[in-house]
Amino acid sequence: MTRHHPDSLTLMEYSAGNLTEPHALCIRLHLDKCPHCQSRVDTLESLGAVMMENHPKADVSESMFDSILARIDNGSDDNEVMARVSVRTDPLQKLLGEDLDSLPWKRQLGDVSVLDISERFPGQHEQVVLQKLSAGGKAPVHTHRGEETTIVLQGAFADQKGVFNQWDFVVLNDQDEHKPVAVGCEDCITLSVLSAPVKLTGTFTRLLNPFIR
Amino acid sequence: MKTLDQKPARPEGRKDPWSQLLEKVGKNQDRQAYHALFEHFGPQIKYYAMANGMASHAEELVQEVFVSIWRRSCLYDWRKAAASTWIFTIARNQRIDMLRKMKRLSVEMPVETEDLWQIPGENEDEPVTSLHRLMSERRIRESLSHLPEEQITVIAKVYMENKSHQMVADELNIPLGTVKSRVRLALNKLKVILQDQNV
Repeated sequence: MTRHHPDSLTLMEYSAGNLTEPHALCIRLHLDKCPHCQSRVDTLESLGAVMMENHPKADVSESMFDSILARIDNGSDDNEVMARVSVRTDPLQKLLGEDLDSLPWKRQLGDVSVLDISERFPGQHEQVVLQKLSAGGKAPVHTHRGEETTIVLQGAFADQKGVFNQWDFVVLNDQDEHKPVAVGCEDCITLSVLSAPVKLTGTFTRLLNPFIR
Repeated sequence: MKTLDQKPARPEGRKDPWSQLLEKVGKNQDRQAYHALFEHFGPQIKYYAMANGMASHAEELVQEVFVSIWRRSCLYDWRKAAASTWIFTIARNQRIDMLRKMKRLSVEMPVETEDLWQIPGENEDEPVTSLHRLMSERRIRESLSHLPEEQITVIAKVYMENKSHQMVADELNIPLGTVKSRVRLALNKLKVILQDQNV
């Protein structure tokens, strides 16, 4: 059971379709494992439906309906479409194509490896990175410029704010200086969406800045 | 209202005429039912497109949404969502899709809109959320009618104009914190905020 959830305002922006794809991915992965948040999103989607109903209407014509009928009558691709939508999707697998451990990780320093996957989301300006902290490993102290949204994909990490387990969701900003440690016997893998690069704060690590993306 | 029904169903699902019509489309390809849905939801979706800055593509969006409704209707499950909610999620996704296509991004993007924003009931692994369902559309309508106008305005801008909380703050010339507190107050009444204290 996850213990760290997206806040309702973020879920609202998600349900309205206003988040960028990388942020929506973090939410979607959490929702898959968190019935509580999923039910909040259900309610928020119903709120969207009620808002739509409460607004003025714009006229639609019968000829528009006729063109819709023409399209469905002509729909040779129906079966293909249905086959696609009825297949369960795992966005992470689609995105990364293989298991997390065999990805082309780039070792940064000591216990930290990263993989920048920003280019999988063309046309948006956030940085999207996978980070891996070896089992028992420590990451250097750092803060965040801007905001970092993170979801734990595997294992768990701990910092002064608590323990973050698989599918936990956490948002860090420039107020949060933290020094995460991987806990448990597994490597801890996270997916993070960054609005600006991480800033290192320790004296010795400053030279290497930015080595955690 | 009894909620200890054996079936994990929305208590009012059957009473909602639009959900019944949508089921008829899904089961029997009923075109009369489909037409009734078009007459009811078509104008809503067209207005939605106009409100969120897609005025020149408003009719195109209505068409895409309705073609999608037809194709997916066999997957519609009234226990997972009311027709109006289900159709809202399709409209939302088609809008995102259309924006992606306009930016010519759909080809390069390995993850599709529906991998990120799901249509209720289409994920086999989806937990049975109807069990935990907090509020029906009817109760949301009731709660909304008691909310102050300033809270409804903010929510409308988020859902209908697809503005971020920051954009709403800029437009109304109020601090971001004020927008957030209005949203929080509203979501409190709608019982969406229950577990935020654990975050």
